[in-house]
Amino acid sequence: MSAKPSLQSQRLIIIALFLLMSVLLAVDLLIGSTRLEAGDVLRSLFGQGTPHGEIIVMQFRLPKALTAIIAGAAMSVSGLLMQTLFRNPLAGPDVLGVSSGAGLGVALTVLTITPLFSFKPGSPLQGWSLILAAWAGAGAVMMIIMAVSARVRDIMTVLIVGLLLASAISAVVSLLQYFSNEATLKTYVIWTMGNLGNMSYTQIRTLALAVLAGMLVAFIMVKPLNAMLMGENFSRTVGVDLKRTRIILLASASILAGSVTAFCGPLAFIGVAVPHITRIILGTTDHRALMPGVAICGAVILLISDIISTLPGGGQIIPVNTVTSLIGIPVVMWIILGRAGLGRKF
Amino acid sequence: MRIDAVLLAAIMFLASCRNGSRPAENINDGTITSKYAASHFRIDDYKGYRRLVITNPWQNTSGTELVYYLVNRDTQLPDTVSEASVIRVPVQRVICMSTTHTAMLRALDAAETIVGISGTGLVYDSIILDAVNRGRISDIGYESNLDKELVVSLKPDLLIAYGVGASSAEYLRKLEEMGVKVMYNADYLEEHPLARCEWIRVFGLLTGKEALADSLFREVSTAYLSLAEMVRANVKEHPDVLLGAPWEGVWYVAPANSYIGRLISDAGGKYLFDDLSETNSVPFSVEAVFRRATEADIWINPGTAGSLDDIAAADHRMTKLPVYKAGNIWNNRNRMTSSGGNDYWESAVVRPDLLLQDIVCIIHPGLIPDHKQLYYRKLK
Repeated sequence: MSAKPSLQSQRLIIIALFLLMSVLLAVDLLIGSTRLEAGDVLRSLFGQGTPHGEIIVMQFRLPKALTAIIAGAAMSVSGLLMQTLFRNPLAGPDVLGVSSGAGLGVALTVLTITPLFSFKPGSPLQGWSLILAAWAGAGAVMMIIMAVSARVRDIMTVLIVGLLLASAISAVVSLLQYFSNEATLKTYVIWTMGNLGNMSYTQIRTLALAVLAGMLVAFIMVKPLNAMLMGENFSRTVGVDLKRTRIILLASASILAGSVTAFCGPLAFIGVAVPHITRIILGTTDHRALMPGVAICGAVILLISDIISTLPGGGQIIPVNTVTSLIGIPVVMWIILGRAGLGRKF
Repeated sequence: MRIDAVLLAAIMFLASCRNGSRPAENINDGTITSKYAASHFRIDDYKGYRRLVITNPWQNTSGTELVYYLVNRDTQLPDTVSEASVIRVPVQRVICMSTTHTAMLRALDAAETIVGISGTGLVYDSIILDAVNRGRISDIGYESNLDKELVVSLKPDLLIAYGVGASSAEYLRKLEEMGVKVMYNADYLEEHPLARCEWIRVFGLLTGKEALADSLFREVSTAYLSLAEMVRANVKEHPDVLLGAPWEGVWYVAPANSYIGRLISDAGGKYLFDDLSETNSVPFSVEAVFRRATEADIWINPGTAGSLDDIAAADHRMTKLPVYKAGNIWNNRNRMTSSGGNDYWESAVVRPDLLLQDIVCIIHPGLIPDHKQLYYRKLK
């Protein structure tokens, strides 16, 4: 067994990924949709820049880059948990209907006359109505999934219930869209395109806390996750309480994906694609290496997407979601076509 | 005070000499030669009927022409004209898909011809709303969600639609199959406010109130152009004007040639994006707009925001803009109903001269003495 050197190289790769993430963070701060001198960007970070430079760096670019890191990491880890839990390479945060649930909350708020949450003008919660609505939607779906999961033995049943739920919710959202006019429809559609750049530091802190909680649970569950790769029977023989593990993993994955979706809109594909990319880069399915690798890799991919989304120049942008899909889909295709043995790892 | 009096005299002088002095912008009854003429319709005179040609009735099309023959109710149809493209005038039962259509009929005192409206909740006019409440006007639903059976049962002479693309053509084609006469209205594609207003002449032909429509349009044009001229003559500084609002990280920026872009420049303002020569709105990053917006002196039409708090809630960074701190933000929601009807999208289309007055007074307070805002309201 050559476990030791490979573990070391995995460590090196994770460190390299982390460095790449840091470089990309710097690039993301330097390249925005408007031109800003590199020196001004640097000085602005330490509160010494020009007034406009400071606002642009501290209020626009830094929050956006931080959100990209948090959201990328969270969605990817959520995807990894789902793939291992369901032992299905195509599973992702969206298969449980958590993203759809969040979408329903937003649709109810945006497309109907009486929003799910609305706050008095001037109240500190006024900017939170969409976030709370999305959170409520995602949370409701999570509760249903967990209730089902606690009742049935077969994990595939949970997967199917999740998919059905997602379809049913999409139908309700379609119905709301059908009965709404163009202007509100556009509002909703823009939300579905995902957005990293609209958050205040308070909101980022809230998201970071939720994600931290979800991550902590995920990292604690590394050992049972590794056992689950060997099959349910094996897990049982090594003493894993399957039902409990399942519920904990579902909660963690839902909190991660639900919170990110609430704050940033449904970020497509990151959750499905990144675990695969990381498995190839690290050459392992061991969650001890995968978990940090997937988190950093997710942050890297979302940072790259964010940098690309400002590339049209002249201040024009493309939605970040279309970028992640355009990166993610070829990668997943390449994996599926190039590695016929992908499914065997689950 | 004295300056005001001088200005007033200047306006009156300009208004009085406007009709004769600038033939290039004069609006004749027949052919229109104004540089602000509507570019999406043309009226040709024939013996016994009129030919109305609507060109490029929706976005991103070129060379599309829709031809309608407007033939009087009791005139025999000419042999050269096929029944399918004939609209018998004056129309008596009309369905309107847009509030700009109802506004024009109202301006011509022909609201009684309206039997159906798409989205009555968006109507502002009290007389039309009253007719809706009394059940004389039905709500036929939205776009692809139209109550087609209701449309047919209303037995309309004409359904006035607007096209947003090939998909909207699809449900209209279905209605045509069911025997409903459909006419496309492209007023919303006209860039200049006067060109948009000129569509009232089409409504004049449809309702048999041609002379009234032409004179209304001529009056409005004269008033608008003389006010614009007065502004041009008296204004030395052109404050920077910011338009629109951010939503979820995107800021759709209207091009310089847009309806509102023209109004700002005619009102003596400098639109911050006057270098944007696109035909449609362009999605910008909030960062990019913010950079320019730091120069803005005035901010108008900030989306649906009704207060300064609304803007702060939509994007907290906007509170850092000098124009926000100065509180010089105006929205076009002064005349609204609780269900969302906004007169800015209704009567203002027929009265761009009044709309221009409002915007002139926002950009150059005091230029028109004792002006009371009609369509605009300052955010608090």
